[in-house]
Amino acid sequence: MFKVNHSGIIFLTLAFGVISFIASLSLGAADISFSDVITSLLASFSTDKDASEVIFYERIIWELRMPRAILAFLAGCGLAVSGLILQTVTRNPLADPYLFGISSGASLGVVISIVLLGSTISVITPVAAFAGSLVAMLMLLMISGRRQSQQVESMLLAGVALSFLFSSFTSLLLYHTDPQAVTAILFWTMGSFSRAQWSILWFPAVVIISCVIMMLAYRRQLNAMLLGDESATTLGINVNRFRLVMLVLSSLITATLVSLCGGIGFVGLMIPHIVRFFVSQGTVFGIMLTALVGGIFMIWVDVLSRVVLENQELPVGVITSALGSLFFLSLLYFRKNKA
Amino acid sequence: MNSSKAQSSAINTANTALLSVQHLSWHADSQLILDDISFTIKKGSFTGILGPNGAGKSSLLRCLYRYVKPDSGSVQFNQQDIWQQYDAYQYAQDIAVVLQETPTHFNLTVHDVVALGLLPHKGLFTREQASDRLKIDCAIKQVGLADKNLQNFEHLSGGEKQRALIARAIVQTPSLLIMDEPTSHLDVRYQIQVIELAKSLGITVIASFHDLNLASAMCDQLLVLDKGKLVEQGSPQAVITSEMLSNVFGVCAQVSLHPQHKVPHISYFYGYDIKEKTAESRALPHV
Repeated sequence: MFKVNHSGIIFLTLAFGVISFIASLSLGAADISFSDVITSLLASFSTDKDASEVIFYERIIWELRMPRAILAFLAGCGLAVSGLILQTVTRNPLADPYLFGISSGASLGVVISIVLLGSTISVITPVAAFAGSLVAMLMLLMISGRRQSQQVESMLLAGVALSFLFSSFTSLLLYHTDPQAVTAILFWTMGSFSRAQWSILWFPAVVIISCVIMMLAYRRQLNAMLLGDESATTLGINVNRFRLVMLVLSSLITATLVSLCGGIGFVGLMIPHIVRFFVSQGTVFGIMLTALVGGIFMIWVDVLSRVVLENQELPVGVITSALGSLFFLSLLYFRKNKA
Repeated sequence: MNSSKAQSSAINTANTALLSVQHLSWHADSQLILDDISFTIKKGSFTGILGPNGAGKSSLLRCLYRYVKPDSGSVQFNQQDIWQQYDAYQYAQDIAVVLQETPTHFNLTVHDVVALGLLPHKGLFTREQASDRLKIDCAIKQVGLADKNLQNFEHLSGGEKQRALIARAIVQTPSLLIMDEPTSHLDVRYQIQVIELAKSLGITVIASFHDLNLASAMCDQLLVLDKGKLVEQGSPQAVITSEMLSNVFGVCAQVSLHPQHKVPHISYFYGYDIKEKTAESRALPHV
């Protein structure tokens, strides 16, 4: 019975995910009805394409909205899973993919590419962001990998210090640049899925799917880490090495996503907590649910970012932070009342 | 005939020594924590490690369960060096450890914690079989937590947490169980319950104790540490003496026989100055 319940919940969540996905294809500046979405989705698998309207819709759906929705879903999955990994291996409920200076490294990379290379919208930006976050990650590993004892503490402190270091460089560069670049950078740091294209989707997909598979494989080790380093050691885990591997995994996810979507706060921190309110996190079920809920949440955030203001797009990060924290606060409030 | 008997008994002792520690020393931050310690643990025995705070009990246990590597000396398990002939994963298949504090702010259920006992026996992609689940359920039942199976581990009482961790050890199917102060923070009923539970497993157990009377009643062998040195070892009768209590623990006490169990039983004297202790204890009648 226990097991049936779990697969039932996963199935329902998946079904809701599919509905959310189709809804996100339908909603936006050009209003396409649900049935039109289905028709054009089905039409693309058949050979007779006649109605020009359908072809127009098809282009919007296939070339604009679908890669966006997929990127949003992947970003949500990735950030939630990355947050779950970090919170587990550092045993710190406040750990977050952006805590370790990875996103500030990415921001610095972007700012350098815009200010020094003068490239505002090009392929260079994501590459620069990825390079920046990799530099941040390597610096963190060099600092925290060396000290074996108190690794968690030095990791967290080093992450915060690196974060400030990169931010100060970013601010310095921004201070000496023209206002136009500042606006571009600001929008980028608040997150957006507008860069989504079919040609780049394979990259986050490969990174995130392989990381989730690795996490599922290491689920017992991750659970064991929650009971403390010493306890985990007695279960046969090389604690320091395991933590470094997991840090690299989550940094890779974050670097990939930051380079494509910019900074999106809240999801990595809060989605694991929200799921943890209801289910035990360390099972296959808990990990899958965290990934799915993160992805679905992000699909709806993307929808909101497109429909809230007419003819204008809101930064995704603004919505995740506002919506997510309100939801989380109400959850805390009702749980407190219930207890 | 006689010599062959002696020979076979020598082989026997060699075979029954599950764990053997030779000249073990370890220091941390240039301070010597463990100083030239040697002892053996017989298969199936229950060994208690005693000593005042800071004597090195936990450090010694850490050397035994492979958390810290000693600077010199060796630890052999089944006649094999635990650092050279075992890796952490293999060692965890043979040795289970129950530690004092298990902080966790995450929503792990009792079942999740107990299931961790499978970790050393499972590959990365292997799933839990029906037999594994049965094993977990049996262990939880054995420690009397069947009704708390799906409860949050954090919400258990101290005694229940210890029992859940013992259930995890049962699932781990070790031949040696190491427990670091398993009875601290527990009330008397749970103290006895936890130790009896560990004894009932029928495997070799090493545990550190603060309650000397409990250790005396429950252990086959006692090791006494003081300032990193092994100062006494032997049966409770040999080790628990008022002399040892005044030398190692600095307390004044009278040792008598437990009326029921016929093991040494300590009655402490309160308000005695340690300097006067020898004269005082001499003046006190022995039972």
